[in-house]
Amino acid sequence: MLKVIQLDKTYGSNKHSLKNVNFTAQPGEVTAIIGPSGAGKTTILRSINQLIRDDSGQILLDGQDIRQANKAGLRKIRHHIGMIFQNYNLISPLTALENVLHGRLGAKSTVAGMLGLYSNEEKTEALELLDEVGLKEYAYQRCDQLSGGQQQRVGIARALMQHPKMILCDEPIASLDPKSTKIVMDILRRLAKDKQLIILINLHQVDIAMEYADHVVGINSGAIVFEGATKTVDDDVLQKIYRQTDDAKTVVSANEN
Amino acid sequence: MIENSQPKPKTIQPVAPQTKHVSLVTRPRKILRGVLAGLAIITIYSLATLNNGNLVFADAFKSLGVNLNAMFLHPGVGQDTFGQLLRALVTSVSLAMLTTLLGAVIAFFIAVGAARNLAPSWLATTIKAVMAFIRAIPTILWVLIYSVVMGLGASAAVVGLTFHSVAYLVKAYSESIEETSQDTIEALKASGVGFWPIVFQAILPSIVPALLSWTFIRFEINFANAVAVGAAAGADDIGYFLFMAGSFYFNFHEVGLIVYLLLAVAIVLELVSMKLRGHYLKHN
Ligand SMILES: Nc1ncnc2c1ncn2[C@@H]1O[C@H](COP(=O)(O)OP(=O)(O)O)[C@@H](O)[C@H]1O
Ligand SMILES: [Mg+2]
Repeated sequence: MLKVIQLDKTYGSNKHSLKNVNFTAQPGEVTAIIGPSGAGKTTILRSINQLIRDDSGQILLDGQDIRQANKAGLRKIRHHIGMIFQNYNLISPLTALENVLHGRLGAKSTVAGMLGLYSNEEKTEALELLDEVGLKEYAYQRCDQLSGGQQQRVGIARALMQHPKMILCDEPIASLDPKSTKIVMDILRRLAKDKQLIILINLHQVDIAMEYADHVVGINSGAIVFEGATKTVDDDVLQKIYRQTDDAKTVVSANEN
Repeated sequence: MIENSQPKPKTIQPVAPQTKHVSLVTRPRKILRGVLAGLAIITIYSLATLNNGNLVFADAFKSLGVNLNAMFLHPGVGQDTFGQLLRALVTSVSLAMLTTLLGAVIAFFIAVGAARNLAPSWLATTIKAVMAFIRAIPTILWVLIYSVVMGLGASAAVVGLTFHSVAYLVKAYSESIEETSQDTIEALKASGVGFWPIVFQAILPSIVPALLSWTFIRFEINFANAVAVGAAAGADDIGYFLFMAGSFYFNFHEVGLIVYLLLAVAIVLELVSMKLRGHYLKHN
């Protein structure tokens, strides 16, 4: 279970980006963080694996505070947290298979990692994972020759290769067409159920969150304004999350179309 | 873009609105014209007052013609056999290859420290400054400097050539490294991958085409340098033979042959580099 307690983050001197953020995310569930752009969704996600250092609070993954870990400890924790990105962030001249294998680099010694020495089991597993996301026949294709949706699925397979407890997804479908969106979201939901993963997704599309999430965290201007089961999200809640700031207006109207 | 380009002319001609005079050319271009005119005057003056040591230009051009004819229309071996020349040529190519490879490996590791997206900025700045200093001094001087320490010969040539290659390649490599996307680096960092595995598994594969291309350009430079350095450092390579044939034995037939041999190598290098670049461009 992921438990975020009283997380505060200030960029620079006085830009208060996260204010006393508290929420939990359970294994086996898709948890969606929704809110207008600039609300702090990315900041939360990147605080969880400490890509950005927060100011104060606790981030407990199965009871262990990620913020208290030393450098080596943090690397070990990060290895069990997969992350997928809006822009996929694959090494594009490499093949899908090579990118998936990168998910194991964090578990290797420096030398084995530098040389990219993978065991036969690891290679087999990578192929199986590509199969699992429906890309078996693309294993030896360079990633820059794949479509956006396919690249995102390679990204998911790479995250799975880490044997993660949790996968953080920052706007994973923002660059995808509706068909690829469905494929990717279906995979993420299936992974949460089948592998009992914590799937934490930043989304700005409310409808997608409603369709796929079990649990919703609503954020506005760096503060959590709602947390609860997806079926308890009603118009009042959405009003509160997308409260009329200038940023919020554009997002809401974009979603209405 | 458009907004950026607008204010610039203003800063060049700040007092323009007051006078009615309209100039067609900008200040920098006026300066350029002035400099060119100055150079032309100096050239004419020096030619007119040149101490030509009783040289008769007609005769001089005639003997130049004779020598060029001997060199390029009648190339041949002189006191050295063709085999000796070929062996010397191989020495030059090997010298260039060795120094380029050594330089490339050393330069890659230093370039990691000189890349702003990987190293702390004080380190990157320091390394870049030192490398710029080394580059500013020509290769041949480095060879001579090292030959003071190590004695004239092949080792001074190797060390001097490598030294300058490193400085050159560090600049090229570190700039290539800086072009790799921060996001892909971060993706691996987020999964707990350490620094060196990221360098070799993420950055290196992304910049292989650029690295190859720069390394090959440096190989061509090093071949030319190896010839020049051979003459100076007595490294028994083709440059040394060229120097002896031209300035010692005055055998212009052999000079011509050597020049043709060098030309052949240069053409082969150019062809290989075009192939290589074509190959990697196709795949990127
Ligand atoms: N590196 C940064 N430096 C300063 N402010 C930042 C930085 N990154 C994000 N912010 C600010 O923090 C707030 C939250 O940003 P972000 O987490 O990216 O929002 P979201 O992902 O919900 O769109 C925004 O107001 C943004 O301007
Ligand atoms: Mg964001």
